[in-house]
Amino acid sequence: MALTLQQIRADVAETLGEDPADIPDDENLVDYGLDSIRIMSLIGRWRRDHGIETTFVDLAERPAIDAWAALLGVAP
Amino acid sequence: MTAAPAGTATAGGAPLTAAQSGMWYAQALDPDSPAQNTAECVEIHGTLDPARFAEALHRTVGETDALRVRIEDTPAGPRQFALEIEPSGHGFPMHAADLRDQGDPDAVARAWMRDDLADPFDLATGPLFRHALFRVGERRWLWYQRVHHIVLDGFGYALVARRVAEVYSALAAGEEAGPSPFGRLAELVAEDAAYRAGEAYEKDRAHWSDTFADRPDVPTLAGRGALPSRTFLRRTSTLGTDVRDRIETLAGAVRATWPEVLIATQALYVARATGSAEVVLGLPMMGRLGSAALRIPGMVMNVLPLRLTVTPQATFAELTRQVVLGIRAARRHQRYRYEDIRRDLGLLGERRALTGPLVNVMPFDYALDFAGAPCTAHNLSAGPVDDLTVNIYDRGDGGGLRIDHDGNPALYTARELAAHQDRFLDLLDRIAAADPHAPLAVHGIATAAERHLVLTEFNDTARAVPATTLIGPVEAQAIRTPDAPALVHGDLTLSYAQLTGRANRLARHLATLGVRPGAVVAVALPRSADLVIALLAVLKAGGAYLPLDPDHPADRLVGMVEDAAPVCVLTDVAGRLPETGPPTVVLDGLDLSAHLDITPPRALTPRHPAYVIYTSGSTGRPKGVVVPHAAIDNRLRWMQAAYPLTAGDRVLQKTPAGFDVSVWEFFWPLREGATLVVAEPGGHKDPAYLARTIREQAVTTCHFVPSMLQVFLAEPDAARCTGLRRVFCSGEALARETAQDFARVLPGVPLHNLYGPTEAAVDVTYHACRPGEDGPVPIGRPVWNTRLYVLDAALQPCPPGIPGELYLAGPQLATAYLGRPGLTATRFVADPYGAPGTRMYRTGDLARWTADGEVEYLGRTDHQVKLRGLRIELGEIEAALAAAPAVTGACVLVREDRPGDQRLVGYVTAAHPAPAPDPEELRTRLAATLPDYMVPGAVLVLDDFPLSPNGKLDRGALPAPTAVTGDRAPRTHQEETLARLFADALGLPSVGVDDGFFDLGGTSLLAARLVARVRDALGTDLTIGTLFQAPTPAALATKLGAGTGSADDALGVLLPLRPHGDRTPLFVLHPAGGISWCYSGLLAHLDAHQPVHGLQARGLVHDEPLPATLEEMAADYAGQLRRVQPHGPYRLLGWSVGGVLAHTVAVLLQEAGERVELLAMLDAYPSDQWRDQAVPGETDALTALLRMAGFDRTDELTREDVLGTLQREGSALAGLSERTLSAVVDIVVNNARLMRAHHHRVFDGEVLFFTAAAPRAEDWLTHEAWTPYVSGALRAHEIDCLHPQMTQAPHLDTIAAVLAARLKELDG
Repeated sequence: MALTLQQIRADVAETLGEDPADIPDDENLVDYGLDSIRIMSLIGRWRRDHGIETTFVDLAERPAIDAWAALLGVAP
Repeated sequence: MTAAPAGTATAGGAPLTAAQSGMWYAQALDPDSPAQNTAECVEIHGTLDPARFAEALHRTVGETDALRVRIEDTPAGPRQFALEIEPSGHGFPMHAADLRDQGDPDAVARAWMRDDLADPFDLATGPLFRHALFRVGERRWLWYQRVHHIVLDGFGYALVARRVAEVYSALAAGEEAGPSPFGRLAELVAEDAAYRAGEAYEKDRAHWSDTFADRPDVPTLAGRGALPSRTFLRRTSTLGTDVRDRIETLAGAVRATWPEVLIATQALYVARATGSAEVVLGLPMMGRLGSAALRIPGMVMNVLPLRLTVTPQATFAELTRQVVLGIRAARRHQRYRYEDIRRDLGLLGERRALTGPLVNVMPFDYALDFAGAPCTAHNLSAGPVDDLTVNIYDRGDGGGLRIDHDGNPALYTARELAAHQDRFLDLLDRIAAADPHAPLAVHGIATAAERHLVLTEFNDTARAVPATTLIGPVEAQAIRTPDAPALVHGDLTLSYAQLTGRANRLARHLATLGVRPGAVVAVALPRSADLVIALLAVLKAGGAYLPLDPDHPADRLVGMVEDAAPVCVLTDVAGRLPETGPPTVVLDGLDLSAHLDITPPRALTPRHPAYVIYTSGSTGRPKGVVVPHAAIDNRLRWMQAAYPLTAGDRVLQKTPAGFDVSVWEFFWPLREGATLVVAEPGGHKDPAYLARTIREQAVTTCHFVPSMLQVFLAEPDAARCTGLRRVFCSGEALARETAQDFARVLPGVPLHNLYGPTEAAVDVTYHACRPGEDGPVPIGRPVWNTRLYVLDAALQPCPPGIPGELYLAGPQLATAYLGRPGLTATRFVADPYGAPGTRMYRTGDLARWTADGEVEYLGRTDHQVKLRGLRIELGEIEAALAAAPAVTGACVLVREDRPGDQRLVGYVTAAHPAPAPDPEELRTRLAATLPDYMVPGAVLVLDDFPLSPNGKLDRGALPAPTAVTGDRAPRTHQEETLARLFADALGLPSVGVDDGFFDLGGTSLLAARLVARVRDALGTDLTIGTLFQAPTPAALATKLGAGTGSADDALGVLLPLRPHGDRTPLFVLHPAGGISWCYSGLLAHLDAHQPVHGLQARGLVHDEPLPATLEEMAADYAGQLRRVQPHGPYRLLGWSVGGVLAHTVAVLLQEAGERVELLAMLDAYPSDQWRDQAVPGETDALTALLRMAGFDRTDELTREDVLGTLQREGSALAGLSERTLSAVVDIVVNNARLMRAHHHRVFDGEVLFFTAAAPRAEDWLTHEAWTPYVSGALRAHEIDCLHPQMTQAPHLDTIAAVLAARLKELDG
């Protein structure tokens, strides 16, 4: 199953323990509690569920949902 | 390779980032410290080409410009300069060794690494990294890297290692490694500068200042702080993947991550181990998310404080949520530096910590390989450890979590560190298995083994005891030994038959008044045989006695009677107590002959109350503690088994009956056939009386409150109390110094430290003091059938070494607070570790177990005070004061002498005879170790601490720091001496002659000391009663009959400073002015049996011709002193002209065939040295007069000016009449003339000489000038003062100490 923007937001919200509706696409996720452990868990999940290969540094460099969507080639 | 400028295009180098600056200043504090070395060891499993490895390493370092710097301090501050790095084999810092031929290659490698790690980098020269590659097996290699923390952090290490592996693998495959993934140092510097110039910086600063505006206390596991050490201790464990999986599952269940679970667990551990619900942990943050630093191996990490509240009621899920939200809030402001937060909060200057333990989670991926050879990474040093850091590594290599507890060795022993780790992991394990929604109270921090140890093994005290009462064994003993002496009081001795017979008659009388089991009878008698009879009688009638100390204020006693509603009040004489409700039984004149002298019938059980003793309540209203027979019976049976009394023992009863220690004093000897020795009322406060009584009455057993023991030990006769077989201490903390003093004064006499509240039948723990032990004196182990619990806030047991509140359980517990069910229920609570329905008593005392099962008392749980919003542990300040030299005891309290004006005041007692500590020096000393707000505004030096009637420290009676003292000057030397002794006793700089001793904070104990001092100083017999009647120096002088009338009485030729004593008298000769009062300061320091007589000039009182020659004057004095002491050996001393006179008198006495065994001179010089000096006139005489009083003349011109000065300064000389003052001036002039004309002959013997060694105008004066006139040695002591100051404290004290030592030698 291809990764979608909605799925990214849902996964991010879950790992942060927040409601997806509370996570804007263009805000710095660090302010919402994103940390390296959570990034690594997302990498693992997306590799497992969607076969997406990405690195910690790539995701950590611009921690926002829209930036990740672009990085991972997910349609907005 | 030539290095490109390391992001530092200019020749002046680049500034440090804020992160680097923090490290730089830390290193600058201790430039030779290796603490900032970080190091890792990567273990490579497989085939490795060392040359290729070196090449890969060299290339990687070449790509890492942030590593390749040296840092120099420049006028513009520290700056980093790019460093040229040579290739491997040409200066590149790389050590390679093949250790396969070593017996234990790994050990050799580890030793090398350990040595290397101890080597500090030189920041200014660099390079700031070093590598080594060891071959330790056919297919095992160890890559060691050490880097200064200022250029690399943990994340940076991972970046470097990954790139080295990548380059190596490429080279091995014959490929190019691809472009460097690394960013440049310049980016870090620019990003840092932009942040600090931007808006976010100000916002972040405001956030941290707000969050920590109250500057919270940060509890640490060590309970104290220390300067950073150069090394650290490490304890390593690994969490297996199974535990890790369980933690991850738990984390998922509470919507958190596994590091957050670990952080919450550590918060719980710290809260419980420190007894603090407020915890501040430090969280190292990699600080790279959303930053260019993600690709830069450099120093970026920051430490952020995480504030948490941990209560027993909260659940683990709630605590973890607090952690999650707390970290989230912190992360939004994570670029603001830890060092800057401390600076903003003003913690730097106070050397206060911002955080407690650090929890450093490093999930940095090390799943890398060297051309297929996998590796595992091990951290060797993660940087400086201020307190305690828990490093958690997830290397992503499938090896589970590695957990390092790193501790500052100044704060933790290896054993303590290991215990903290074991408990942390055990707690984590239990939390992972528990319901996260259960209250945290279900979790204790002790391991199962520790729980068993502290709950069961340490409390293994079960002992079967018969069901008896307090009184039954006394009655049985009376039947066994009716004729043995039971009680001695003064000349009165009562046998067991006599004592119990009298008690039985009274008991039968009481029964007629309605006294029976369960009834209370108040007993208001001073210490006496009748008091003992009364107590026995109440118990024999079946009643419980309520002791009323006649020394207590009547209001307080009346309150107790009203509260306890006794059946009757027993007293000795009518009118001792105001009329209250219950009938009074007056023993004086009471005819009991109608009653039988045999034991009365009564239906007494062990559960009936034996006594009711009132203790002070924190609310101010005393509360009556009802103690049943079974409780005290258990206590006394244990005591007899622990310290067996025999018929030959004699137990001193000196504790007031209102203090429960008296219970064993009264009844233990009578239960065992020993003799009770009853001290005089008030005698318990008089150390001399006690020493005498102990010796004269052959006392073998007695008790002291520790502060009174200290007083007793200072009593010279204490050392002669060698008949003692055991001494008990209880009532307050026994200082180790006191125990050591005891062992010195009474070697061989066992000293036992007991502890217990009134609520648990006197004592529940015991410890035998042993000479040579140090550290705090434990209160010891539990007595029979008694269990001690040291519990945390959740009532979970604290493991050994961890402080908690002390709870007591067992049959010794009191029944209740009389008539206070609510209070009883809050202090006597259900025992969670005992049989159902059993209770435990909450002591309010802070304590901890030692590893071998003794308890140490740490203070009160409620001693913590807040001053101006700051939380202060007074005990901490007290400990700091007590650690100062010459301080023997310390107490600190918050005073509010004027409403709203709260301040800290310290009180210390000083070791004798060392010079008293200087309050200012003490404050300076404290300021060196304590934050400003914990340094008392005033420190008072006391002779003794004031004690309550029960002998406990009476905080309320400690004097206010500025006592207002009167200004009338002393008229006589007695008044002057007394005023000085008053001031000494009260710890005040001065006391006016009309100031009342008790008004200035004097207590009866201080009074006892003062009386002893007065006795020593003036040789007059004086009782405390006299002091009560005449509480001012002036009144007391009058009372002593020494100071009646005018000062003239003290102006005779012979001045008896201390007329009595069995030692050879000391004669002190007057200085130029002819008056010898100046020597009175010697008295207090010389042996109390050393008589001292002054010789004074003629003409002070009556008109009589002044002597014509010094020889004539000396001959007159020789005749005078022979009236006191007809023959030698003589002891002579003189200051100034007095020294010249003493020499002349000594020569005359020797020429008359007498022996002179002491000639002491205080800054006196022979005639030769004065001969050419002008003879002084009136103005010089006035100078001399001032000098006699101990002052240098400044601007006084006339006799009136001089008088004014004397009056202002409180000198006794101010009381001189006009006539006498004139005479003094004449005498000064005459003496100066005579001295210049005198010719010395030779004194045959030694001279004890004291030089006023401070620089002076008459630099030609030298004691060597005496050489021609003294056949023996001149033993000179330099006193750091000017000539006029010699007879003032503290200089005279120093002289007196030397003199006293010499006199003691002469006494043999």
